Amino acid sequence: MSQSGPGLPRGAPVVKVEHVRLDYHKEKEPLPVLADVSLQAGRDELVAITGPSGCGKSTLLRIVAGLIKPSSGVVRVLESEVKGPREDVAMVFQNFVLLPWRTALENVVFGLSSRKDLTEVQKRQKAQEALDSAGLTGFENVYPGELSGGMKQRVGVARALATEPKVMLMDEPFSSLDDITAERLRVETHSLLISPSTSIQSVILVSHNVEEIIELADKVVVLSGRPAHVAGELTVDLPRPRNKKSDEFFKWVDRVYAYLS
Amino acid sequence: MTLEFGLVALDIVSSWVRMILALGLSILFALAIGIWAARNRRAEAVILPLLDIFQSIPILGFFPLVILGIYGAIPNFIGANLAVIVLIFTSMSWNIAFGVYEAVKAIPQDYLDLLDVSKSSSWERIKNLYIPASMSRIAYNTQISWAVGLFFLVASEIIVVGTSSGNVQIPIAYGIGIGATYFPANNDYADYALLIGGIVVAVLLWRYLFLRAFALWSEKYKMMEEPRELHRDPITRFYSWVNHRAISKLFLLSHGVGGVTRFSSTIARFRRGLKYAVLIFFVLFGLLLFSSMASSGDLAISNLPSAGQVVSTEATVLVALATSFVRVWYVYAICVAIGLPLGIAISLNFKLYDSVSPVLEVVSSIPAPILLPAIVLVPVIGHAPEAVAAIVIILAIIWYIIFNVMAGVRTLPADLKELPNAYHVGRWAAWRNVYIPGALTGFVTGSITAIGGAWNALIIAEYFTETLSNGKTILLTQVGNGIGKTIVVATAKGQNLTLALAILTMTALIVTFNLTVWRRIYHRVTKRYTYNR
Repeated sequence: MSQSGPGLPRGAPVVKVEHVRLDYHKEKEPLPVLADVSLQAGRDELVAITGPSGCGKSTLLRIVAGLIKPSSGVVRVLESEVKGPREDVAMVFQNFVLLPWRTALENVVFGLSSRKDLTEVQKRQKAQEALDSAGLTGFENVYPGELSGGMKQRVGVARALATEPKVMLMDEPFSSLDDITAERLRVETHSLLISPSTSIQSVILVSHNVEEIIELADKVVVLSGRPAHVAGELTVDLPRPRNKKSDEFFKWVDRVYAYLS
Repeated sequence: MTLEFGLVALDIVSSWVRMILALGLSILFALAIGIWAARNRRAEAVILPLLDIFQSIPILGFFPLVILGIYGAIPNFIGANLAVIVLIFTSMSWNIAFGVYEAVKAIPQDYLDLLDVSKSSSWERIKNLYIPASMSRIAYNTQISWAVGLFFLVASEIIVVGTSSGNVQIPIAYGIGIGATYFPANNDYADYALLIGGIVVAVLLWRYLFLRAFALWSEKYKMMEEPRELHRDPITRFYSWVNHRAISKLFLLSHGVGGVTRFSSTIARFRRGLKYAVLIFFVLFGLLLFSSMASSGDLAISNLPSAGQVVSTEATVLVALATSFVRVWYVYAICVAIGLPLGIAISLNFKLYDSVSPVLEVVSSIPAPILLPAIVLVPVIGHAPEAVAAIVIILAIIWYIIFNVMAGVRTLPADLKELPNAYHVGRWAAWRNVYIPGALTGFVTGSITAIGGAWNALIIAEYFTETLSNGKTILLTQVGNGIGKTIVVATAKGQNLTLALAILTMTALIVTFNLTVWRRIYHRVTKRYTYNR
């Protein structure tokens, strides 16, 4: 992702969301949640989806993950249609979702359960490497209950990284953390995701924190309305590292807010 | 052959009248004891451990004795019914009393200050504040008490009939427990089936016409936001209270306010509680021996058992207890093997949950002892008393496991249930790593309740007699050995020493087991297996 500076053409699309609709069926009355949403996440791009709370951003992310089937429309990851959860897509949850009865290492190993090609020892090795790169060396055998919120989310990130995904989905990953922890984790996570050693080709981040989005995203998709549709899409061509205090930064923040209101 | 609709209706109505009287008695008792304990520190220190002890012991074991005692004092129709009502009362009242206690304890200080300022009298306080404040908890706990009470109603009616087979004929003619033994004994299985159907209808009608209406009506007395658990789905709501009680048994005196149990800082209180426990134990022992002797009309000192007699009787009691101990645990193992996977599977599937849980609720509301005559009829199994006993106990306790596991899995957050899917984890790995550990806390609390229930169910399951229409009693099933059988037989034969030792040894075992093994397991499991962010 490091190449995706300003002015450079975007790479080939990695994730394509095409005319996705979703209706909830409650008591036979279909309740539309998403109305014809289309978006793309290109190679080496971090795309942020934002919108008012309850607009269906997290639902959209779950459709991309294959956890929810859309009522109509298609999601493609690297040209193949998403028909269910897949091995090349990993998810980081808002509330970490760690198993309290498993250690940090075991939690990461759990994410590798489906990898039949790996032995137990290899899984542990991979998990260890992921924990190391998430800055958790020395905490392998600690249970989540003994970790701080920020460290829990590091385990969540490590679990996703260990599966060597092509697409990384992040559902409000920093919103359960306090400001200082969140900021540190944002900076670290970003450099982790864009590092040349990673398998990740594209990241989709759901967030309602506009400053967070401008800090991280290459592209912003704003959802709005009920049912939700894409209200606006902007390409954030601020140079990195981004200075959160600069006037330029706030101009971008205001632009997103303009779409939100 | 015509169906005896009238007789069946009379049975159900008689039983319901006993239940309603016992419930009324329980609520009055609960208000008195609960308010007293909540407003008076000294009373609190005595009442709470007493309530805990009473709800920890297998009260069914005391039933034969209580029946003989009350009937001995009032040897007529009234005495016999009073005995049954008292027995139901003992199963219903503790639970409601705790509800009142916690509700009054939770009244905000502002309200109390208001009454102080207006110089209200004690009666005005009770009438205007304590009773209204307790109302929603009374209504809520009544639902649980009713289900528990129904089991004990049937058991006590059956025991009344069984007890009267000895030297006394206790005049109780109608009741679902009576019908359940009378019809099958006279080969009238059509009416027996009618009775069971009638009970299901009565349970359902009662639940919707009274229990639910009572609960809804009591909502207006709510003083503030109730704890979140009260708003969950019915099964979770129902069992969260049962759980709460089951757990508090392990800690003695660990009651918090508003349904929240404080486990910390209980060590000191726990020790104090233990002292009470020992004290109460000896008082019970004395009472038991005395009343059992009084009931046999023989109070002479010379009738006191010798040390040798006590030792040899205790030896036989211990053997019976060990047999039952094994029985309880293997039956429990069967319940786990069925209930744990079933509970998890049901709650993971929304459609299954919606369709199956009402059915389970109805089936579970049929008091297990009533089905015993039907089980005896089943080919092969019916002739194996061990199997009959096992099935009766299973039917009495498996619900605690299933419903608690269901509640446990249901309360797991949605994203945790999503996790195995998101990481395309295989089914077995998901069960092993997510669902079974996630259900474990509910499972353990359900297990504690189930084991407690199993000890109660033994009294019916191990030894069961029926009375024929000509007044003759036939033995329907009896296991080789067991503490339940020992208790029932000793009652019928007037072997007071055996009876007293059997009840006390069983109680001692159960209370000790609760305070040591279960307590430790529960601590461990809640520490590691409670899901919080």
